[in-house]
Amino acid sequence: MSGALSYLLSCIFVVAVHGSMLLNVYSNGNYSSINDVIGLSAAVILLDAVYFIIMPFFKHRTYAVDFMLLLILNMSMIFQSCFGGVHFDTKHFITIIAALVSCRIGYMLCRNHRWIQTKKKFIWAGIGILLVVILLFTGSRSMWIDLGFMSIQPSEFIKPLLVLACATSIAEQQNRKKVWGFNVVYDNLIIFGITAVVILFQWWCRDLGSIPTFAAIYASCFFMRICYPKAKFSKKTLIIAGSVLAVAAIIGIILAPAYVKARLFADIWSNPDEDGYQQTKALISIAEGGWFGKGPGKGFLHEVFAYESDIVFATISEEWGLLFALMTVLMLVLIVAMPLVNPPRSYYHGTMCAGVCAAFTMQMALNIFGSCNMIPFTGVTLPFISAGGSSMVTSGLMIGMIIAAQSPVFANPTNKKNKKKHKQQKRRTV
Amino acid sequence: MKSIKRCQLVMTLFLLGFLAGLGVLTARIYKDAPFYITHSDNYRLGRVYDRNKDVLFDGTKKIDKPDNYLIDVGNLIGDDKGQMENTLVAQNIDKLSNYSFNSGIENKNGKAAIYTTLDHTANRAAYDAFMGADGCIAAYNYKTGELLVCTSLPNIDPRHGYGGIENMKSGTLMSKAMYGTVPGSTQKVSTVITAMEILGQDELFAKSYSCGGYYMNGTGGKIDCHNSWGHGTQNIQQAVENSCNPFFAQLVEDGDMPLESIVEIYTRLGYNVSSGETDNEEENDEEKEQEYIDIDGIQCFKASTTLTDTADFATQWGCIGQGETLASPIQLMMWQSAIANGTGKMTMPYLIEKVTDVEGNVTETAKTEYSEQLFSKETAASVKQILLTNGANHYQYSIPGYKVAIKSGTAQVKHGAEENALLVGFVDDKNFPIAFCVVLENKYSTPAVAENIVTTMLNSLSR
Amino acid sequence: MESAVYAAVLLDICAIVLIFVSYVEKKAGARRWSKTSDDMELTDEIHVFHLECDEILIGRHASADIRIQDMSVSRYHAMLNVTDGKWMITDIGSKSGVFVNGEPVRHVRLYEGDVITLGNRNLIFRKRRVHK
Repeated sequence: MSGALSYLLSCIFVVAVHGSMLLNVYSNGNYSSINDVIGLSAAVILLDAVYFIIMPFFKHRTYAVDFMLLLILNMSMIFQSCFGGVHFDTKHFITIIAALVSCRIGYMLCRNHRWIQTKKKFIWAGIGILLVVILLFTGSRSMWIDLGFMSIQPSEFIKPLLVLACATSIAEQQNRKKVWGFNVVYDNLIIFGITAVVILFQWWCRDLGSIPTFAAIYASCFFMRICYPKAKFSKKTLIIAGSVLAVAAIIGIILAPAYVKARLFADIWSNPDEDGYQQTKALISIAEGGWFGKGPGKGFLHEVFAYESDIVFATISEEWGLLFALMTVLMLVLIVAMPLVNPPRSYYHGTMCAGVCAAFTMQMALNIFGSCNMIPFTGVTLPFISAGGSSMVTSGLMIGMIIAAQSPVFANPTNKKNKKKHKQQKRRTV
Repeated sequence: MKSIKRCQLVMTLFLLGFLAGLGVLTARIYKDAPFYITHSDNYRLGRVYDRNKDVLFDGTKKIDKPDNYLIDVGNLIGDDKGQMENTLVAQNIDKLSNYSFNSGIENKNGKAAIYTTLDHTANRAAYDAFMGADGCIAAYNYKTGELLVCTSLPNIDPRHGYGGIENMKSGTLMSKAMYGTVPGSTQKVSTVITAMEILGQDELFAKSYSCGGYYMNGTGGKIDCHNSWGHGTQNIQQAVENSCNPFFAQLVEDGDMPLESIVEIYTRLGYNVSSGETDNEEENDEEKEQEYIDIDGIQCFKASTTLTDTADFATQWGCIGQGETLASPIQLMMWQSAIANGTGKMTMPYLIEKVTDVEGNVTETAKTEYSEQLFSKETAASVKQILLTNGANHYQYSIPGYKVAIKSGTAQVKHGAEENALLVGFVDDKNFPIAFCVVLENKYSTPAVAENIVTTMLNSLSR
Repeated sequence: MESAVYAAVLLDICAIVLIFVSYVEKKAGARRWSKTSDDMELTDEIHVFHLECDEILIGRHASADIRIQDMSVSRYHAMLNVTDGKWMITDIGSKSGVFVNGEPVRHVRLYEGDVITLGNRNLIFRKRRVHK
């Protein structure tokens, strides 16, 4: 009963938020014809309604994350449709639906940990195939595959796969072998190898923004392994790992190409038209927007390159106000923080949640802090808010993992009871 | 269970790290937004008013007034074009920000403004009284410190822009009252103060020297008097009224006036005294960087002179007001305030009465401040009497209607090719406490007269 | 401008509502999980250990989910697993071994009423009782 009530309550409030945002578009927005606003409103509300109706048929246990996902996706739709004047952003609408579908796929794939742990070789193979694709198709200085009608960023798809690879390897911690005086878990070595290769590939592609995300996923996995029962991370191992990381970081900084160093120590305001063009424009627009913004579609930032992806936080700040932009980001934080309220029940699911959390926070940090010049600016997308199909689909997959962690699969226990009784009887006779 | 708790801990760490970063980001944006906005194309500054709400600068729109309406205060108020740095607007540009993060850009309704103490009408009157001659005039209320008049010629109306900047007369883009000039005989006021401090009133009045048109000093230098017939034997009062150079040369050379004491009092008055020794000149340069009087961010030249030996030619001329002595008209005017107040403390001038932010809240109001004790009250009273007597005897008709204490000066510049007329003084009136300093450059080439300029300005101020 | 503020406030309320929904779901989920895992508990005569998780580590170490402070119990002694209501116990390299109903085991399914012996300690695997 309370379930149905809270379901209804959630529906009402999600629609209310979208409604109030659309009202803001109507009253403050920059539109030439009212039909644009009506079309956008119809699409958003319709998507809400359809999702509410079909959601009960999914038959999983928790819906809060679903509601939150829908809330954020349609907010994103409204944001993106207002940049540079209200219009209906069909491409973004399609990617939103793709994200919802991929969320479902992620949920189905990941909820049964016994099953997926037997399939982990396929996950490794998947990462391998993606790496080969990057090697063959993107070229050394690009991260995109241009298919003509759309561009795909294959490195994005490695993120959920790496999270999965980490999660499926966690149970292997008990199968340790003694090799040359070290306790070795083969899976750990494989995960380390995969991460290292992926990071090297990203370096080769000059997709520097993705490296911290992969590193964060690996770090979360590493922490989880230390926490895992009987992982027995000796001080020896920790010191070796730490020193390897330190040496790698030092070598990385020494060998870093000049333009990376320039990015690290740049004063963007001394020459705002060159090095820090995007960041300065982003900061100016945030300042102009103030707390409450100029009104949807009334900003100037949509004339700056990557306004809808890399500096989207500033674009939203300008048009909707810093307050609203911050709250949108808080919603993103909240969706990955949901496992803190409703915790997963197994270590596999926990690791998955931690990996997703690491990937999301790292992406958000790189995007937001980068565009606001707190850290070097790298072209990273803000999950769900930025335009871009690859990012949208992979973010959807990762949220699917969180839903899976909250609603793990169990077979109907009633069948087992008979079996159990049967067995118990059998045992007693022995 | 514990293992899941640990998993949640890892997530919490990631999220808290991110949220902390977000908090820092928000605080940084809130703090730095007024800086970011200065790079925006939509950003406009607020207004600058004179004391009667006359607009002297408006960042939002062009002031709809006749051409050259602002030519009297142009190089003091300045604008945001970056051409004139030592101006009110350039130095206080952040106070004119018509922006706050809470209310956004308010170009039309923004109330950010600087209310100055200037009296535009009096400035204009003084400007016109120069009749096109070069020079400058500054006047302020020596009780409160409000800078009422500060104009200089040549000048510019900033609304014209800076086209043809290479053809502008030198000094157009700087308010001359803020920069050093040769003080001429107005320097003798400082020397009288010094002598009064060292000798005391009775002893100084007891001293008398004779002037025969020139004086051969102890080192063989010849100090000429402007009156080649000589003034005969005079006491200090007569010497000030006659502005007699030989008298002051002999006073400085007097055995009762040790060099250290002179240097000490000059330094206390604010002079940058250099000893003039060539051996360690570089060292001196490094030690004594140019100091400035700060008037609401505008840098005002202090004063400097060279004192080596009381019998030295250059030192004596320095104490008379030629040679290497330089002082800014504002500084000369401020010394008058220390005399006029009778306290021996200067009233520090200010230009900004109050500042309002974009919402109209007053964020700053001026306070009257005083300098350190420069000289004793007794000295102030005596010097005030000398100058008042001078004013009563010589300026009763040229500056009619005011009880003025005054000292004139003539400064030779460009190696004697031109002579500047100077007047420093104050009105000794509780209800009209004005100290002033006027410099009229190349006085023989213009029909303008320094006394008339002062009179015009005082009339305009007292209207 | 006002409508932007309304939207922001509504977004806040919606976030709170969704957190509340998640909390409700957590309670329901806990009940359901207990049901699917047959609602079992472990007990020695003094303590009762609730089984609330898919994987439960038993051992002497402070990080163990069920901590038994007895020198005869290894730091990481045994692991309980549940899938589809099937409880399994696994010896994870203990020194003194795991015994179920007196028999040494490595990996075996547990039934209601089984007695698990770890070192000198006996634990009874039983249906959960309602405690107040």
